[in-house]
Amino acid sequence: MTSPRDPHYAAAAPRLIPPSRAVPQRLGDVRVPVPLVELFTIAAGFERAGKLEEADRLFAHILAVAPNQADSLHLSGVVAFRLGRQDEAVAKVEKAIQHGIDIALYLRNLCEIYRTLNRLDDAVATGRRAAQLAPNDPLCLHNLAVLYYERLEIDESIACADAALRIDPDLASAHLSRAEGLLIQGNLAEGWEEYEWAFRIPSVPKMMPPTNRPQWRGRPFDDATLLLVADQGFGDVIQFSRYIPWVLERCPNVVLGCSSEMVPILRQFLPSSRIFYDWQNCPPFQAFCRLSGLPRLHGTHLDSIPAPIPYLHADPARAAAMAQRLNALIPGTRKRIGIVWAGRPTHNNDNRRSARLSDFAPLADLPDIALISLQKGPSAAQAGLYFGRAPLINVGAEIADYDDTMALLHCLDLVVTVDTSVAHLAAALGKPVWVLLARSPDWRWLMNRDDTPWYPTMRLFRQTVSRQWSAVMQNVADALKRDAFG
Amino acid sequence: MNAPAAMLCRCGSGLRPARCCAINPAELPSDETGRHLAPLVERAIAAQRQGASETAERLCLDVLEMAPNRVGALGVLQQIREAQGNQLAAETLLRRIVFFDPNNFSATNELALKLLAKGALHEAVIHARNAVRIAPGNPQSHNLMGLILTEAQRPTVGEYHYRKVLELTDTRDPILLANLAWNLKNQGRMEEARALYEESVAALPAVRQTLLGWARLEEADRKFDAANDILDRMETLWPASGPAILLARAVLLGRMKRYDEALIMLDRLAEQSSDGRLGPNELTEKGRLLDQMGLYDDAFAAFAEGKRLARELSGQHYLDKVAENLTTRLGNFFTAGRLQTLPRATVREDVPQPIFVLGFPRSGTTLMEQTLSSHPRIVAGDELPLIHDITGLMPRMLESPLNYPEALAELWMGDQREGLDNLRDYYLQKVAQMRILTPGAAWFTDKMPLNETHLGLIALLFPQSPLIHVIRHPLDIMVSAMSNHFTHGFSCASALETTARHYVRVMDLVKQYRSEMALRYLAVRYEDMVTDQEATIRSVLDFVGEPFDPKCLHFQENQRYARTASYAQVTERLYDRSRFRYRHYLKHLEPVIPILQAHIDWLGYTVD
Repeated sequence: MTSPRDPHYAAAAPRLIPPSRAVPQRLGDVRVPVPLVELFTIAAGFERAGKLEEADRLFAHILAVAPNQADSLHLSGVVAFRLGRQDEAVAKVEKAIQHGIDIALYLRNLCEIYRTLNRLDDAVATGRRAAQLAPNDPLCLHNLAVLYYERLEIDESIACADAALRIDPDLASAHLSRAEGLLIQGNLAEGWEEYEWAFRIPSVPKMMPPTNRPQWRGRPFDDATLLLVADQGFGDVIQFSRYIPWVLERCPNVVLGCSSEMVPILRQFLPSSRIFYDWQNCPPFQAFCRLSGLPRLHGTHLDSIPAPIPYLHADPARAAAMAQRLNALIPGTRKRIGIVWAGRPTHNNDNRRSARLSDFAPLADLPDIALISLQKGPSAAQAGLYFGRAPLINVGAEIADYDDTMALLHCLDLVVTVDTSVAHLAAALGKPVWVLLARSPDWRWLMNRDDTPWYPTMRLFRQTVSRQWSAVMQNVADALKRDAFG
Repeated sequence: MNAPAAMLCRCGSGLRPARCCAINPAELPSDETGRHLAPLVERAIAAQRQGASETAERLCLDVLEMAPNRVGALGVLQQIREAQGNQLAAETLLRRIVFFDPNNFSATNELALKLLAKGALHEAVIHARNAVRIAPGNPQSHNLMGLILTEAQRPTVGEYHYRKVLELTDTRDPILLANLAWNLKNQGRMEEARALYEESVAALPAVRQTLLGWARLEEADRKFDAANDILDRMETLWPASGPAILLARAVLLGRMKRYDEALIMLDRLAEQSSDGRLGPNELTEKGRLLDQMGLYDDAFAAFAEGKRLARELSGQHYLDKVAENLTTRLGNFFTAGRLQTLPRATVREDVPQPIFVLGFPRSGTTLMEQTLSSHPRIVAGDELPLIHDITGLMPRMLESPLNYPEALAELWMGDQREGLDNLRDYYLQKVAQMRILTPGAAWFTDKMPLNETHLGLIALLFPQSPLIHVIRHPLDIMVSAMSNHFTHGFSCASALETTARHYVRVMDLVKQYRSEMALRYLAVRYEDMVTDQEATIRSVLDFVGEPFDPKCLHFQENQRYARTASYAQVTERLYDRSRFRYRHYLKHLEPVIPILQAHIDWLGYTVD
């Protein structure tokens, strides 16, 4: 899911304390002919505009002259963080705090940097100090809410979100944090309501052009046309597409807007003529609804999740061709295990949910299996670096679309995947699928259970230590030896 | 009129460059124009016959200054330079004779032999084929083909031509029989070869090459006593021995694990040489003996000196730019997007299919082949040069103006959609001609090292063939490459650093192929074959699609003779000594560790 919950780590308006007052400077060191205050303003402007390389260069000049200048250290640290130089970012912001005056902002940002670096204890201590220093700053509290979610301390996360909302009841990102906390605890009804706030977060891209048409409220809509929008990520679309038959019972005239990649999935519910993927081709409609909003309208609780598995099907001709191809590539008696080790790298949770192919080493050592890569995207290149005992057949290289993926999944004995769309697809096809989850997973996987009411053929393997896959993979390998093939 | 020495061609012909290697064909006189020079040429020939070489040389130089295409003068000058030991000039002049007079059988024959002697086999084959074209009824042309194709790893074709000589001459010439025996030994047909050596020696008992070849046969066939007897007989015939006999004795003693005695043989060999030193092959053998004795620093010094001397004597060095050009172009061509638009050859159900045993030279491919070919449904094809041949033939076969791999773009043309089927059939037809297939065989192996360079092409031609890639600790490969001579991989093994560079290039290419294609590919660690033999073999056979056969565990009982440099190892039971042997040589390998470190990590090895 495209999470719009990013904490606020960028700087607020720059408030440079003139160096002569803030930090003792030796004039003889000054080698920049432009006053530092002006340079700082320009550099901060570059940072806000996303011109990070330019900002980085200017801050380097400033810090060469005024190495302890707190605002520059802080913002330079933020720039380093955004450029991926994490250790440098920490060092600079920590130094800024040593030399700073108004430090709540620095602490708030340092909290987020620590969180990103998985230094969760440091993040909590820093985030709490920030909240103490700025008790009326809802963003400090929101950062803490996000942090506690990551620590899987959900009650604390919800409490921080509540506190933030007491200060600013319209802070959409805090509502989303609250929603995710409620949902992962299984409080779906309240969670769905809060979740609606996600779409008011200013930084979240608009899912459709502006319209004066109302949102559908779930009531029968016999004569008019309802527009469904397949929002969020591919996995969400696959997960929530199960609600389309429920919609059709109430609204026979549905048109559906989606990205082109999703057409092979969604045309299993609607004729292609009623699916479009270019807003220019959007037909007239009287109301609209997001696909991810359907569970709320449906009133889904944990015990009423519609799971008519399988609700997706591979094309028989493609499946037969794929079976033939696989038989040629893996003729022996090996069990065929599809694997996906990484999700879309632009997903804001990707560094937590994605693994590396080398993490699958315990599986690769098992006898009598063949690994079938379904990996797409830049991480697929890791297939070239695999030298495990079990063969790895990179069928992912020949997958063009989700029709191919469904055909391939149809031919497999098991799928082992990180939390990506393939997990949803395999499960929607009714295939056995084992999902490898980050310690703080997406809300939909709930807590403390190895199954899910969303997909009966799915088994969950959870990290016990954040961002460490070795134990998870060993558990998977042990389970394969023990359970999988009898 | 002879030019001053400083102005003469660098090849040493004695001619000016403009009349020799920098010749301008447009300025050549016609035959008619040069007719008046014929008497001078005749005088030169007569002088040469009478032993007046200086006169003959002067006359030839004069003629060739006026008409550099006078073949008669070129021939006499070539003989003079040959007699003077000026090999480069002699070869250059022979090439020119063949160029101006393509039907000159004698020069073609001589040039082919000269190229064979210096190891330029690819070119030698071209001229040997021309010799047969010029004189199909001449036994010598077929003898030439037999000699050259045997050395060029196409022994079955060589055998055909040797037998053609027997047919044309209707006699059983002892030398020819010995040559045929060597050919059959290279095919692993030991009994037939032995019978021919016996017949040859019975007719002509004192021919060094014949006896040496026979001794090598017995040694390869693990009949050490028989080999010893033959070498004893040679020492009786030639009490002073000779370098070849001493080296053969050293190799035999080494295989019998009598290392000290083997080293004494090599010392004697050095004493006999003009400069008191060993040649490249002898130094390599010495290094191997020292390695067996645990004297690793001395061993590496011998290997390094052997490499240095080989470079100096042969002039062979890594063709860096050529290798870079090819690997770059292959990487650019074989991308997932392009591969999705290219057809694949269909699979022939009527003939045995190849199993490609891939790997860098010295990584254990011979062991893998010996193991697989112990299975009743798998025969050994050895190092088949056919994929390489196809890369050369491709432009012509696909009617493309481009070279490989770009020529594969022709497959997008309507009239070349079956182009890959034709290339596949070329490969399979050549295999059939090689007579390696036996009744009941479902598979044959092709273990040409570095075929992984062409993994993309192989997968297009044989999309269902198993690709068994034998991997080994890269530093062990480096040690093994130092202790052997091979020319695969653009002569990369002429030095340690270039071996490492080529290894990296090829492995990067393999990575790319595997990222971009769905390959029937299985990596097998050499080390696993040593430490976990049965599980590894079971896994490989399952991947091939054949049931396990216990015979594969006893590959050393496979009577097939593995012709490549690994034969001495694969005829022994698996042993642990070859695993992580690099540790003895770590300080010598330091220069290449930075080159290889990333690949060592990828493969899951460490340096310790």
